[in-house]
Amino acid sequence: MKAFWKNLTMAFGLVLVLTSIVGASEVTEHDIQQGKSIYERSCLICHGESGKGDGPAAFYNAAFSAPRARDFTVGNFKFRSTVSGSLPLDEDIFRTITNGIPGTMPSFSGLSSEQRWQVVAYIKTFYGGFQEEIPEVIKLAGLPILSAAESVRRGKILFQDMDCHSCHGRQGRGDGKVALAGELHDSRDLPISPNDLTNPTGWKNGATASDVVRTLFTGLDGTPMPSYESQLIGHEDDAWHLANYLLSLSGQN
Amino acid sequence: MTNVERFFHPSLKTVLALGFVLFVTSFPLRVPEAEALPAFARKYQVNCNVCHTRPPRLNPFGEQFLENGYQMPGTEDGGIVAKLKYGDVTLDDVSNYFAVLFGVDGVTNVNLKREVPGSEDLTELGTPAIVRLFTTGTVTENVGFFVDMTSIFSRSSDVEIGRAFITLNNLGGMDWAHLRVGRLDPSAYFSMARGRPHWVPVGPKFAPPFGSFATPTVTQWSLFQSAYASKFYGLFDRSGAFIMPFDSTLYNSPEEVGIDVHGRPFGDWFLYQVGVLNGGNERAGDSNNSKDWYVMTRFDYTQSAYLSVNLSGFGYFGNHNAKVLGGADVSRSRYGVGARVRYKWLDVYGAYTIDRVTDLPTGMEAIFDSTATGVTVEAHALVADRVLIGTRFDHMDAGGLLATRKSATFVGLQAKYYLRSNMWFTIRDDFNVRDSEGGRSAARNLRNRFNVSIDLVF
Repeated sequence: MKAFWKNLTMAFGLVLVLTSIVGASEVTEHDIQQGKSIYERSCLICHGESGKGDGPAAFYNAAFSAPRARDFTVGNFKFRSTVSGSLPLDEDIFRTITNGIPGTMPSFSGLSSEQRWQVVAYIKTFYGGFQEEIPEVIKLAGLPILSAAESVRRGKILFQDMDCHSCHGRQGRGDGKVALAGELHDSRDLPISPNDLTNPTGWKNGATASDVVRTLFTGLDGTPMPSYESQLIGHEDDAWHLANYLLSLSGQN
Repeated sequence: MTNVERFFHPSLKTVLALGFVLFVTSFPLRVPEAEALPAFARKYQVNCNVCHTRPPRLNPFGEQFLENGYQMPGTEDGGIVAKLKYGDVTLDDVSNYFAVLFGVDGVTNVNLKREVPGSEDLTELGTPAIVRLFTTGTVTENVGFFVDMTSIFSRSSDVEIGRAFITLNNLGGMDWAHLRVGRLDPSAYFSMARGRPHWVPVGPKFAPPFGSFATPTVTQWSLFQSAYASKFYGLFDRSGAFIMPFDSTLYNSPEEVGIDVHGRPFGDWFLYQVGVLNGGNERAGDSNNSKDWYVMTRFDYTQSAYLSVNLSGFGYFGNHNAKVLGGADVSRSRYGVGARVRYKWLDVYGAYTIDRVTDLPTGMEAIFDSTATGVTVEAHALVADRVLIGTRFDHMDAGGLLATRKSATFVGLQAKYYLRSNMWFTIRDDFNVRDSEGGRSAARNLRNRFNVSIDLVF
């Protein structure tokens, strides 16, 4: 029951994120300049002076394979709560700065909340589309499904039916036949591995059920992970079942 | 031995080299997974290569993390973990503060000319050569610590405290001044830091001297960065113990008791460092009641295009920090420049140093060369995600007693295979460029050293 309330709370949080207008107060030139100053101290070393993801340290974590540091100049963001191909919300960028990305980017929660919002404002200056496009937020209906045995069982069937195993492997170890064939590349044409779903620290876009549901709906732009929105819209229960199954693979349910 | 005979009776070195190549190539070249690893990697849930070009050398991000007292660059995030209350701390939290390194010499083959009495060719299997326990981290915002306990089995099985210091960071403002107090490594921020070497220092082997101001018989030269070596023959520390010409000393000592301040008050392009040490490589403290001090400046270009370049210069000013035969005090100083260029898969760095001995007693100038120089250049290429190859050039133009001093020049070749980013195999060969020159000196006696080793840090 505790897990149910936890999921419910997270779902409300998700709904809030998806339906709210940008949470930060109006951005000023001062914010952008402050953000630039912080960016140059904390972010430039990986993302580069011009935001192309070519900072002096960017090569080493992904020398010959993905993921390299994000190129902010092309408007292609992995971690969003918006539909595939759309720009992220400010909250999405803020969340990534705050939480980091397990394995590749540390959390910058050591920066104050104000500083992180200022960095968000500065990052958006690298891509002109932020001035013109209004991100389209994914739409979810219904409430989360408790992670019970029946839900996990149904999620396992969906995992097979939706062909997730071709990349992630039958056991979710990231060793599906497409992955083993070396056919997966990111938008920079670097080889990329599907997530090993059995590794509890490997969930780059968050490891709660609502994070996983969000990932299923948005996909991870710039990677081979597609959006399943068209298959899951109107079948949100299935998204929760699948999320419960995926998390069970790493013992997180 | 003819080529045919060589084919059917390959040397141990050849067999090992082939075995290593087969071993390496037997691993499928998969895209490496993200791994959350020792202390800092665990704490921040990132791969080792976020901070390292390849362990143990730091990349520009790791250098900024180090400069900021083990906090993310531009932040004061020390309290992230430390704010847990007593009672809430779990084993996982504790593991964020500890790391262990094992260095195991798998096989070593040493080839000598036997011109020095007691010299003997050697092929041996290794026990754990080095075991190090690190405990490090931050206790609250802008307050950190580092303790390094090392046991080097080739010396003794005793555990030694190496570096042990406290950091106070961002004094006066972000990146203005970071303070270290304790037993610290002065050259941590230099272009070619002495610590975290891709080339693990080796040796020496020697017959111990008996009594104060006695000179040991060195049978095997130490393979170490010549730029950072003592370089002088005939110097003793203040207790009368012989200072080996290849001992790491002065600004490039592995640890000295002192206080050190560094910062970047004008931005990322410029770093300053000043410090004061007891000096003289004295483990027992400051017996001469005087101090050595140093200053270092470093200029960086770290903007974009996967390129970083830096250039540093330092001066280390010794004050009665050594003795010569007869017990008279002398002062040793060092001046040096260093540079490092990293571009994608290429990493080249080096240092050139000039050492000077002053305050020599009257009459000694005629038999003692008071100037010595050293140069070390290393280059590495990351040829695949898991394979690093490198070479090193070392030259020491030795000083000291004219009758015994001997310069040395070595070249090394090395390949590393990273099974994981926290575990690597190394195959390495160092050879003496000047072994054909005569002289009963360890600098000439060591012809070649071949070594296969395994390092594991967790």
